[in-house]
Amino acid sequence: MTPSTMAPDTGTREPGTAQARDIDRRDVRQASSIDLRGLHKRFGKTTIALDGVDLTIEAGEFFTLLGPSGCGKTTLLRILAGLEEPDAGSLRIGDRDITDTPPHKRSVNTVFQSYALFPHLSVRDNLAFGLRMQGIPLEQRKAKVAEIADFIQLGDLVERRVDRLSGGQRQRIALARALICEPNVLLLDEPLSALDAGLRGQLQVELQRIQKRLGMTFVFVTHDQDEAMVMSDRIAVLDSGIIQQVGTPSEVYEHPVNAFVARFMGHDNLFAIQRSADNWVDTDLGRLQLDPAQQRSEQQGWLLIRPETLELGGDVPAGYNRLEGIVKERLYRGSRIEYRLEVNGVTLMAVASNLGQRLHAVDDRVTISVCPEDLVRVAA
Amino acid sequence: MKKRTLQRGLGVFWWLTLVFLYLPLVVVMVFSFNSANSAAHFTGISLRWYRRLLGNEEILSAFANSMVLAITSSVIALVIGCLIGYGMYRHRHRKLGWLIVLIYLPIVLPDIVFGISEMTFFVQIHRLTGILQPGIETMIIAHVTFQIPFVALIVYSRFVGLDPSLFEAAKDLYASPWQRALHFMLPTIKPALLSAFFLSFTLSIDDFVISFFTAGPESATLPIYIWGAIKKGVSPEINAIATLMIGAVAIAAVLSLIFSYRRQR
Repeated sequence: MTPSTMAPDTGTREPGTAQARDIDRRDVRQASSIDLRGLHKRFGKTTIALDGVDLTIEAGEFFTLLGPSGCGKTTLLRILAGLEEPDAGSLRIGDRDITDTPPHKRSVNTVFQSYALFPHLSVRDNLAFGLRMQGIPLEQRKAKVAEIADFIQLGDLVERRVDRLSGGQRQRIALARALICEPNVLLLDEPLSALDAGLRGQLQVELQRIQKRLGMTFVFVTHDQDEAMVMSDRIAVLDSGIIQQVGTPSEVYEHPVNAFVARFMGHDNLFAIQRSADNWVDTDLGRLQLDPAQQRSEQQGWLLIRPETLELGGDVPAGYNRLEGIVKERLYRGSRIEYRLEVNGVTLMAVASNLGQRLHAVDDRVTISVCPEDLVRVAA
Repeated sequence: MKKRTLQRGLGVFWWLTLVFLYLPLVVVMVFSFNSANSAAHFTGISLRWYRRLLGNEEILSAFANSMVLAITSSVIALVIGCLIGYGMYRHRHRKLGWLIVLIYLPIVLPDIVFGISEMTFFVQIHRLTGILQPGIETMIIAHVTFQIPFVALIVYSRFVGLDPSLFEAAKDLYASPWQRALHFMLPTIKPALLSAFFLSFTLSIDDFVISFFTAGPESATLPIYIWGAIKKGVSPEINAIATLMIGAVAIAAVLSLIFSYRRQR
């Protein structure tokens, strides 16, 4: 977006709007960091939504809060927006403490899950709503609407009625309505969950591109780990109101810190560790050699084997673990083939890229090569 | 085959119901144009009774009273009922049990009980303080009291039908509490308010029992006038008034319906 003065012009303000308010806004083109300390929130007497959250989000980061429903991710987002007050803890955006700042005085805007477009207003007036409430004069509002319509490529959508828009179109308008205010932080509450898969993929890419172009801090909430990995710079995985892990998509996917994160990231191959030493573990699969560098302090826990790291058939390279299994099921997915194997009576999933190799048939006995470096110990 | 016969039977029943409901109204309307002074024989079309109506000071004053009463009470009920409806929405998650029953009570209470209690109440107030002599003021208060629940419920149901995120979106987009009321809530519930106003108006114009108990000697409304007049026998003049009232109420009811239909879209 082009730089423009956002300070309300007292001379030409439209009647009916309140006087200029002290909205927590610094340089509009500068993204803000977020600092959360010791956030607690409970609903009623028993429901704990947040149980001590400490989190730092860097300026200009695409940050995703990921977790199952009821994990506290939406509550955290709503506290950032000011729509929910924390029971304890503090919240800073940039260098200002905004724990007690009401939502209409925070330079934070939200894209709501239901889009929440005002039904009594046209698309144009929906887009201009935030500017109008801040007392920005009509001429500047018009210019900004034109600018954002161009930026998000809304085309003639601006002229439509809100009730004549499709889901995807509403989503874009809701995004534009929040971006037009040039907030320090943009919050997105599962904005893609109501869309069909194709459109969702397209908008994931577009959202990411918009975020990179604006350099704005985005905080995105989702329960879909694929979406989180595709879009985010960093991900926080939440469960039971506690942050389980914060990291880049590859850190969280390849090195989940505990079984919950591993399962939530879609891993099936988790095996309870019965005995272990520095460089080996015993599980139901048998004894497997580990890379000693990988070892963790926890002696108990789980062994994670990523299905795509397994090598089926052929010779087992030196230094690799060798397993024997029987193919129980084969799923042809086009770009890849998924096998459900049985090893020592337990199920092991394996995925092979479809490179035109000979496929293993159901009931085939196959050798499985497991590289010690690909085995990851995961806390319980 | 059998099913079709049944459906035809139900169709007949529908038409019978309509005839039963509306034929008396049609009779009144037809006889209001009767040239003769008779409720039994229709002799020819004339506007004689309407002309007579316009020359009748008592009727004109009753009409004026009815309009003043209906408009004033509807406006007041709209403001109070709107606030109550919003309050009910805001605190809908609390257990309001008996409070909600109190809101509904005036709707189900027999008019005659309501009228008598209002009358007794006003008489006592007047005896103790000297204010609120029976007249148009007491009627307005009484009418407002029975209109409020309707307004409150219409407004409440409009709010409940809204996406709760809209309230949050308004906050999120920098609207202060007053701006939210002015730029979001009022425009959003406008159709509900219009519909509630016309419903209140219709209820007020239509009311006889409560008006009768709270009226003073100078504040007869059209229904009270009619009641007094028919003691001397039904004149075609009454038919003319009735026809005009049917027209007025029908217009208000249709407007109320139109706005509530728009509200649901």
